[in-house]
Amino acid sequence: MDTVLEATDLTKSYEDFSLRGVSLTVRRGSISGIFGPNAAGKTTLLKVLAAQAPVPPGVVRVFGQIYETSEGDLKNRVGYVPQEPTFYPDKTVAWHARFVAPYFARWDGAGFHNLLESFRVNPLKKVKQLSGGQKKLLSLAMALSHGAQLLILDEPTAGLDVVHRRSLLDLLRTLAADGESTVIVASHITDGLDEIAEDVTFLHDGRVVLQAASDDLMTRWKWIHYKDGSLDRAIEDRFATLRRQPFGNRGLTDDLPALREAVAPALASGDARIAHASLEDILLSFVKGA
Amino acid sequence: MDPILRRSSFFYVTALITYMGLMGRFMLTRDWPAFEVIPLFLPVWLISAMLASEHDERYAFLRTLPVTDRAVVRTKFTLILSFVSAAWLLMIAVALLRMGDEIATPSTLVYVTLVCASALLVGALYQVGIWRFGMSVMFPVIGVSVAGGLVLAIIHVANLKYQDDWPAFSRMGVVEWLGGAPWLSSAVLGALALWAYYGLMQAGLRVKAASEAHL
Repeated sequence: MDTVLEATDLTKSYEDFSLRGVSLTVRRGSISGIFGPNAAGKTTLLKVLAAQAPVPPGVVRVFGQIYETSEGDLKNRVGYVPQEPTFYPDKTVAWHARFVAPYFARWDGAGFHNLLESFRVNPLKKVKQLSGGQKKLLSLAMALSHGAQLLILDEPTAGLDVVHRRSLLDLLRTLAADGESTVIVASHITDGLDEIAEDVTFLHDGRVVLQAASDDLMTRWKWIHYKDGSLDRAIEDRFATLRRQPFGNRGLTDDLPALREAVAPALASGDARIAHASLEDILLSFVKGA
Repeated sequence: MDPILRRSSFFYVTALITYMGLMGRFMLTRDWPAFEVIPLFLPVWLISAMLASEHDERYAFLRTLPVTDRAVVRTKFTLILSFVSAAWLLMIAVALLRMGDEIATPSTLVYVTLVCASALLVGALYQVGIWRFGMSVMFPVIGVSVAGGLVLAIIHVANLKYQDDWPAFSRMGVVEWLGGAPWLSSAVLGALALWAYYGLMQAGLRVKAASEAHL
């Protein structure tokens, strides 16, 4: 496995919040999703991974290097889109392009303007005239225009309309598919991003509660929909999440093989059926159970 | 030119032009106590320039670029040093010009150097303070300092004018003594100030790298 980023036992404390013992490995060409509820520590984690917030040297290695000794080189290879991008509000979008261009070794001015055009961001507008979603797209255009090999995106779809969100997801998928770019995205919603994330990390209260390949999770985690009374109480107790509803109950499990024998009669009689679970369902079971 | 330097230098160059244009010309045209009073306004101008520059600075944006903290710290400290050095050179030049009509004396050179050295260190301290505590905390502190500095300077001017026994800083015993060898004294004072300034720059580097308050 060709590792692009490695974080080991990462701890970051603030007055009212701590990120504790987070370890993370990101493969080249992959899309890693970091999911969790609000205040789970996603933004803090991404800030640390992108050298926006300090941690002790050596805790984070990117392309085999550490920020403390290779900050300039690494930031040329890492594109970071913060949750709330910051710019000089009284300056135009084009001014920002001229400002950043000398700092990046591989700045693609034409590519930047093409991206702005496709994102429908007017380069002559001052940043303070842009909407929150447009600022996000501007930040994204900058991250994509300096040949970044690792993109770290904090809530990239937040504030975007459906059209832009869809085209962003397609763009990220295309970037990762060529094997040269690696993407880390964080979000409190899995909608859309769960479709593209290959590796998933769930954070809750500053800790990693689950790390797995998305496919594995989808294979392992299933809903069992069943009519009330068709399953024993002992089986229900083994569900990670149990939802009783007027039109039928459903239980979420990550160990279907162990339950299959017990559920088999209900499945055979048509009183129960198995359905896919979404990342959001799985995330919720961890958050509630934590 | 480095874009950060170019953007921030606008505020410092403007401050230098307005300081020498508005205040410095009095040193050319007015008699006593012009050389006593005008240098006292230098820290006010310097800190105002810093306030304007830092108030509009976007460190969170800069941190996303391949710019090291060391480069940013060096740029900001270069600006402060350049502003003070330029002001010192201009005031010393004017003082030398006015030595002929005895408006300025050798101790004036030492006094100007002392004020400039103090301004340099105060400016550096505030800059480090901004990185450590952020603008939201430092803005009122700096604002009160600027206002307080102005008020004290005005009180000093008024008392010099209306009270014969009011002490003048440029005529204090130690300044007069150092004025016995003004160039040597200025060189030693300048070197000491630069040494302390370098120490503050190193502290600024550590503070900026470790703090998130300014982001």
